[in-house]
Amino acid sequence: MKCEPKVMKHFSTVHTSFAIDFTFTNNITILTGLSAVGKTAAYSFIRECMAVNPKIVCLNYLDYQKNVKEILMQIKDKLIVIDNADILLDDETRKYISLDGNNQYLIIGRNPKNLFTTKDNLFELVSKTTDEVTEFRIQPYF
Amino acid sequence: MITIYKNKDDIPNDIEYVELNDIFFNQKAVIKLDDRAKEIIEKVDGSKLVSKYKIESKFNGVTLDIDCLSTGCKTILNVLYFPDKVFCMKECGDNALEVIYNLENGQVYSNYAMIPFDMHTVKVYSDLDSRIIDDYEELKEWWEDEM
Repeated sequence: MKCEPKVMKHFSTVHTSFAIDFTFTNNITILTGLSAVGKTAAYSFIRECMAVNPKIVCLNYLDYQKNVKEILMQIKDKLIVIDNADILLDDETRKYISLDGNNQYLIIGRNPKNLFTTKDNLFELVSKTTDEVTEFRIQPYF
Repeated sequence: MITIYKNKDDIPNDIEYVELNDIFFNQKAVIKLDDRAKEIIEKVDGSKLVSKYKIESKFNGVTLDIDCLSTGCKTILNVLYFPDKVFCMKECGDNALEVIYNLENGQVYSNYAMIPFDMHTVKVYSDLDSRIIDDYEELKEWWEDEM
């Protein structure tokens, strides 16, 4: 599904020797790929920004006991970043996300079921280390 | 060979199912690590196990707590050290799946197909029946059959 990002087209931050530089081309970005490329590390750096950037909301396995759909329904105009999405999002929540016109999503996982996504939504994380600084970017998965 | 379940109801009542691999690893599996873990951590995460609870990051060489291992790597280690439990493998990338499928023993669950390109013989279990599969397409078909 091709849909312009509703909250932000670009996100960047720095955490010690790590830098995040993400450009979003879609309202739902699914960040997928091999294990251990740094997806959860990137999530933790974005999560840190929640303290200073009111546009960001982060959810992960620590929210496993909560009703994620209820949480999402109360949020507006945010970039919602979800790690561990494959165990956190049930079918109903996925359908809600696919039709949510109020928020933008960065979903870290491998199962695109019920998100009505196409290859336009699928991205992978790439990293490059220069002068001891590791920069993470996203690029189309296909 | 590993055993695969595609339906939670098929997991015998006396076998514990673990969905949150991060927490299980951090709380239970971590104390069981031995030389077998070293090799897996290097292969999947590209990190070195430098002491019992510390790894060296592949990104910047910094020493990290072992809880920074990838969920995929933690899942492999959970399956390896606790073959009597069933672990969710939905958070495993293809590199982690390849290792899991090569384990001599262990039990995993996913309600949708998660098959590495380089797959080995597995035992599948559904509807109180088990069988051995060693072919990618046959395994995919089993997974996609109505449950």
